[in-house]
Amino acid sequence: MPEHDQESPRLSRRSLIAGAALVPVAALTSAVPAPAAPAGAQTVFSPSERRTLEAFVGRLVPSDELGPGALECGAINYIEQALAGALADEKASFLQGLAEVDTYARKVQDAGFAELPPEKRDGIIAAMEQGTAANFPNARAVFARFRRLTLEGMFSDPYYGGNTDFRGWEVIRYPGPRVAVAPEDQQMKVAIQPYRRSALGANNGH
Amino acid sequence: MAINLKPVDVAVIGLGAAGGVAVLPLARAGLKIAGIEAGTWMDPHSFKPDELHNNVRGLLTSVPKANREVPTVRNSPSGVVRRGSIHPMMNAVGGTSIHYWAQSWRLKVWDFKVRSEVIKRYGAGALPKGSTLEDWPVDYDELEPYYDTIEHEVGVSGKAGNIQGKLDPGGNVFEAPRQREYPMPPLRGSGFTDHMAETAKQLGWHPFRPPAAINSQEYQGRPGCAYHGYCNRGGCHISAKNSTAVTTIPAAMKTKNLTIFDHAQVTRIVAADDGRVAGVTYIKDGREYFQPAKVVLLASYTYENSRLLLLSKSKPYPKGLSNNHGQVGRHYFAHYQSGVSALFPYDINVWYGTPAQAAAVDDWADDNYDHSGLGFIGGTSLQPHTEMHPIEAASMNTFDLAPTWGSAWKSFVRVNAARWVSAYLQTSTFPYEDIYLDLDSEVKDPLGDPVCRVTSLLKDNERLACEYGQKKMQEWFQAAGAVSTARAPIGPPGVSTHAYGGTRMGDNPETHVVDRWGFSHEAPNLGVLGASVMGTSGARNPTQTSQALAWRTAEHLVKSWKSIAG
Repeated sequence: MPEHDQESPRLSRRSLIAGAALVPVAALTSAVPAPAAPAGAQTVFSPSERRTLEAFVGRLVPSDELGPGALECGAINYIEQALAGALADEKASFLQGLAEVDTYARKVQDAGFAELPPEKRDGIIAAMEQGTAANFPNARAVFARFRRLTLEGMFSDPYYGGNTDFRGWEVIRYPGPRVAVAPEDQQMKVAIQPYRRSALGANNGH
Repeated sequence: MAINLKPVDVAVIGLGAAGGVAVLPLARAGLKIAGIEAGTWMDPHSFKPDELHNNVRGLLTSVPKANREVPTVRNSPSGVVRRGSIHPMMNAVGGTSIHYWAQSWRLKVWDFKVRSEVIKRYGAGALPKGSTLEDWPVDYDELEPYYDTIEHEVGVSGKAGNIQGKLDPGGNVFEAPRQREYPMPPLRGSGFTDHMAETAKQLGWHPFRPPAAINSQEYQGRPGCAYHGYCNRGGCHISAKNSTAVTTIPAAMKTKNLTIFDHAQVTRIVAADDGRVAGVTYIKDGREYFQPAKVVLLASYTYENSRLLLLSKSKPYPKGLSNNHGQVGRHYFAHYQSGVSALFPYDINVWYGTPAQAAAVDDWADDNYDHSGLGFIGGTSLQPHTEMHPIEAASMNTFDLAPTWGSAWKSFVRVNAARWVSAYLQTSTFPYEDIYLDLDSEVKDPLGDPVCRVTSLLKDNERLACEYGQKKMQEWFQAAGAVSTARAPIGPPGVSTHAYGGTRMGDNPETHVVDRWGFSHEAPNLGVLGASVMGTSGARNPTQTSQALAWRTAEHLVKSWKSIAG
């Protein structure tokens, strides 16, 4: 059974309102989920592959005056854990995509992707997205997959290694998973009080 | 060699939405039932508000069987075949009813006799070209008592709009007459869905809260919905969603007449030389078993129903069971994807809720408006609804107002992730001569059996009907204050959660697989359950109609036991 004493008084009150007193389970377990890192996660990327990926993901969602970017939200950690575990089948093609980005950068800018200044990296990412990167036939697919996994890393439950300290959910103002939701948290034009708990934890994992 | 098991009265293949309902009237009548299910029981404690698990990776299943059998799709008879990404069938006790949206609709009077009604109102020339559309062998009045039974046995929330002909604008005034009110009031509205309903009224339309097999209040000892926003492809952590795993299956087990064989993958339905079915073979833990049964009810899923029949070849059925007239797999169809999304200038907060928490409008569905000169028949139900997950929200369409990455994108989603929504549209879809299911010529499952192949073509009638519905949805969103709207492109449906046909019901043994009761014209002790027997879809989710038909088939079996079981 989960730890009820970790719930905020606010949630407990609302749980009662919503009839959740009948509920035998409160799925929201822990503010700091136990790491789910599969063995080998830290060796998915070589140092240079990691630099290339960081240089890419950091431009997809940069840190700026509005707050943290994908790197600060743990997207790399998420991708590493995913490629070492649930998405292991995809690891080879992902690394191939990283290598292609670097090869393309050396061809058009005469330097590795990670060594380029931000605006040059942005130019390469834009060319990939638009499908105008010469001799890089699957550039759009690589862009789409990198972007998709970056979003998963920013906005999935922190249990999976990303969304560090719920920063991703802060970026988009997602109020967080709750066991039960009161009518006032389903109204328009209101600021819903964020509830920052992971839905998963060491005793409730996969 | 298969291990022979003790004979039973009825073997039910698949304990999902349909099979899980049929077992209850059979068990109450005292018949001994073997419920053969490829999956197993799922623990509600394992149902988490976890988008990655449920929606992104699609892992909510008790066994991975279905994902080894994902059908292939091609968009022309000679076109490229591609594998679907995920099988809509879920293997578990309760099946897909565990993670569906639980929208629980009756079809309309019109849906059962589209062909004759269209000819009467618009002339035969209005029928879609190449369609194999026909009236059902049963009409709404015949099915009404079974709809009523399902609503009360399973538990459906809603507000009646037509009780025995008396209209109530608090409900859906376009619904077919029902004998009594729903057993529970409708799910509550949200700020957004209430706003949409108010707007629809101002447009002169007739909004209502759609029916759902979700408890709006305590029912049969289970609590009301907690609206926590992880219902779509998620199991209910408090069992407020009325899957058959928490309703009819446990009720059937109480009679002691239902034995569940789980982790049991049915490989063939076996026919005797006289053409009657003798039982089923299945594989469990690597061993093969034969379960003899006086009657077999096939309730796997639309794709798997046709596939298992086609795979079950025998001396009396060289082209597959119940397929001596070549009808298995024909008259297949599926709903099109035709959503409309909208961006509002303020937070609409649709994060929580459930997709069945919606403002629904039927003014543009079915034949509720004059189609003269429109070039299509059928219509679209419109449903803006709640439930939005964070990855989904951030993956939003930027409505041409921002790039898809970089600081400008981040700034855009920061403001707008809570300001957009997608409406669910369902359009009547019809069967056609050249749309069908068969066995794939190359792709096989790990047992070496071919997977189901879907031949799916884009049809003008459906395309025009979808586009008309989309325009109405845009009009509705704009009237509600949306600053931008976007229509999903209309393409031929792929592997679908709303898949119909393949074993169509009808009176003619040469053109229908099953009779008006759901029993095979060729193998008299074989029944087929699920949307595979349906001849039209309506603009509705298929589940409640499948369940009403399944109950009716089971009840018919009980009443006609001697003649069917032999």
